[in-house]
Amino acid sequence: MFQKVTVVSQVFKNKRRLPPCRAACPADVNVQGYIALLQQGKFEESVELIRKSMPFPAICGRVCFSPCQDACSRKNIDQPVGIRYLKRLAADIEREQGRIKPDPISKTHSEKVAIVGAGPAGLSAAYELAKLGYPVTVFERMPEPGGMMQYGIPDYRLQKYVVANEIAYIQDLGVEIKTGVEFGEDIQLDTLRNEGYKAIFIANGAQVSRKLGIPGEDLKGVFHAVEFLRHVSLGKTVDIDEKVAVIGGGNSAIDAACTSLRLGAKEVTILYRRSRNEMPALPHEIEAAKEEGVKFHFLVAPTQIIGEEGRIKIIECLRMELGEPDASGRRRPVPVQGSEHTYEVDTVIAAIGQLPETSCLPSILLDERARAISVDSLTLETKIPGVFAGGDIVTGPASIIEAVGAGKRVAVSIDRYLNGEDLRNGREEEIEETNWVQDWEKITKKPERYTAPHIDIGRQKVSFEESEKLLAKIKEVATFEARRCLECGLCTECLGSGELCEADKAVVDETLCTGCNVCAVVCPIGAIKKNEIGVAQVNEDLCKGCGTCSASCPERAITMQKFTDAQILTNVAATLGESR
Amino acid sequence: MFRPRIIGFVCNWSLPLGVDFASTGTIHGYPKIRIIRVMCIGRIDPVIVLETFAKGADGVLVIGCHPPDCHFIEGNLQAERKIRMLKQLISRTGLEPERLQLDWAYASEIERFATIIDVFRNQVTALGPSPLAGKKPDQGIMAEIMAAKAVAGDSRLRTLVGREKELIEEGNVYNEKVEQEEFDEVMNESIDEEYVRSRIHLLVKDKPMSVEGLAKHLGLDPKKVLRHIVVLRQRGLVALDRIEEEDPLYIALEVT
Repeated sequence: MFQKVTVVSQVFKNKRRLPPCRAACPADVNVQGYIALLQQGKFEESVELIRKSMPFPAICGRVCFSPCQDACSRKNIDQPVGIRYLKRLAADIEREQGRIKPDPISKTHSEKVAIVGAGPAGLSAAYELAKLGYPVTVFERMPEPGGMMQYGIPDYRLQKYVVANEIAYIQDLGVEIKTGVEFGEDIQLDTLRNEGYKAIFIANGAQVSRKLGIPGEDLKGVFHAVEFLRHVSLGKTVDIDEKVAVIGGGNSAIDAACTSLRLGAKEVTILYRRSRNEMPALPHEIEAAKEEGVKFHFLVAPTQIIGEEGRIKIIECLRMELGEPDASGRRRPVPVQGSEHTYEVDTVIAAIGQLPETSCLPSILLDERARAISVDSLTLETKIPGVFAGGDIVTGPASIIEAVGAGKRVAVSIDRYLNGEDLRNGREEEIEETNWVQDWEKITKKPERYTAPHIDIGRQKVSFEESEKLLAKIKEVATFEARRCLECGLCTECLGSGELCEADKAVVDETLCTGCNVCAVVCPIGAIKKNEIGVAQVNEDLCKGCGTCSASCPERAITMQKFTDAQILTNVAATLGESR
Repeated sequence: MFRPRIIGFVCNWSLPLGVDFASTGTIHGYPKIRIIRVMCIGRIDPVIVLETFAKGADGVLVIGCHPPDCHFIEGNLQAERKIRMLKQLISRTGLEPERLQLDWAYASEIERFATIIDVFRNQVTALGPSPLAGKKPDQGIMAEIMAAKAVAGDSRLRTLVGREKELIEEGNVYNEKVEQEEFDEVMNESIDEEYVRSRIHLLVKDKPMSVEGLAKHLGLDPKKVLRHIVVLRQRGLVALDRIEEEDPLYIALEVT
């Protein structure tokens, strides 16, 4: 339906070898790097490192769907590292010391860039371009910037001050954000051109709710999730009654359901036409909704909404069965004939998806069916040179982190466009996942005994001293959690200085090696193997430098590059030599 | 008052944050354990531990992550096998095996860390100074430790330790699994044999000796000593030097 954009990150190399977490991240965030810094308790440095690749550490720490965590190799041993929690914690600890105010970046370029839409895509493009020294103006139609982060995600999941903080950081760099400006009315492509904007990035998102298309949809008491959530965020009174039915299975449905509870609804039911397994909402959000008392009815689809005296009375539904998988890979729901049944409700919230905001756009930009903007999938340039588009407006409703990825890519394209460079040259890349375990079957599994703690500082009423202790404890837990990282990537991930870096490698003395294979047996990660002539050979990409092979080699043919036996013994002698 | 000098080999991942290991290797409040940080305690070569004792340490404490956690998946278990073998080897010598200890702690368990150190310190304090410490180390025990070090550096025990998990859990090339008890027996026997051979080898390095003389020195049955001499000759480590009053004298060969 929508053009899917394969994620290619912005570094100009054709082949990159990345750990699974980083390879999975649409915004190319250096996950292993900041985890490595957290291992050493360096919280601020860790947030700095995240900011190198994207401007929203605290926001993503809260609401990212964390593909990095799903890709984490540690899941093959027990559970993935709690990457999202760690990111959130690091960002929160940084904020504890007050808001970070970066120095504005001096404008080294004169070409002005206009960005339409201050959502994650627009803002991250603005962030990247501002760092390159371009004067950037972001136009936003709503009174506050942030897009869906501001108006789509309810406050209990993503606090507004967090969004405000991170946007203020971008503004501090020198990005100008003009709110209350509607594209298509107040500004147009030509008016922007006339005002001297040399490049334009359209990122106005997908904020039009998809309609149910059933009788009774225009009754009072029928809401659509995006508008519903936006109204709540704006502080408008939303007139919902006691029995709420939410239709849909995505995050918006869960958000609408939980928000209804907070607005005073007595009974909230989610009606979803497929089963729990096909729900696109994040699993932990579904769990949280259940805990809050939201009910779920699976395999039902509404056929009509029946009202009485202008108010909703009942919603009629059909039972569904799951058929063959469809284009999205999920099993298609098929209606069961004659299975009509009804639910008594007085409010209905439709949360069955969103559509890109195409009505305000010139038709030349749109694809054949006028559902989205068509772009070059590599450069994100539209049919008009110098006009780019990315984020939900291109892909259909997706995620913050994918929008950030698109924003970053557009920033690279715009930079090249304004410098008159080729937009495509060297940008296609092949990502190879590095992983030092080659055969997970051989790895000893560990019991799943650990759940990443949902750390929530600030809510408990504690005295100052207690909170200090609590914070210290939390830091300790976080450091431990970070140490569960298996460090699948190559070294240099954390960009730490030589002083921090302790990477070591095993070296085989081939004249001593008898090919007994003990090293291959003891190496936990299969980094050392006999080669074709029967001599042990270290795979330097895999070797993590633990030294177990060196300590086990029967012929003592293996030494470590840095921390040799002699070095250890020198340390021993030095420490023993101290006076008693 | 006797204050033991203890070397602590601690894995990078179980060393509590804030412990100052770089300057003096001391823990706040526990000034007399000297910590040497390693990436993984699997790095601890048995030879290193024996050399540390030879240099006069009163105790050696090895601390790694609690199994089944290990930053290197099972480096800590590898270390456990090595330490188990080492303790048996040391028990053959005049040095108390209680001077060596392995324990587990997480980086987050500062208190546990401190307790482990405390208990071990008391244990070593009760044993008194190491016979190898000070200006005049006990030469007899030193010779024994040197023999043990040679054994720990030689292939037979290292191969056994390295292959222990494979032999017990996966089986040998004939897919025969070895029972833990059977393995322990083989290990014990190997330690015995290799230790005695190593002592013989080191003794005849200094001066040629007869079987009778060696047996007397080691307090062993001459027949056993003769059998070891045969093996050492087969290995090319010992050769006949000369015959004196009908007694053959043996001497160590320089290994090239």
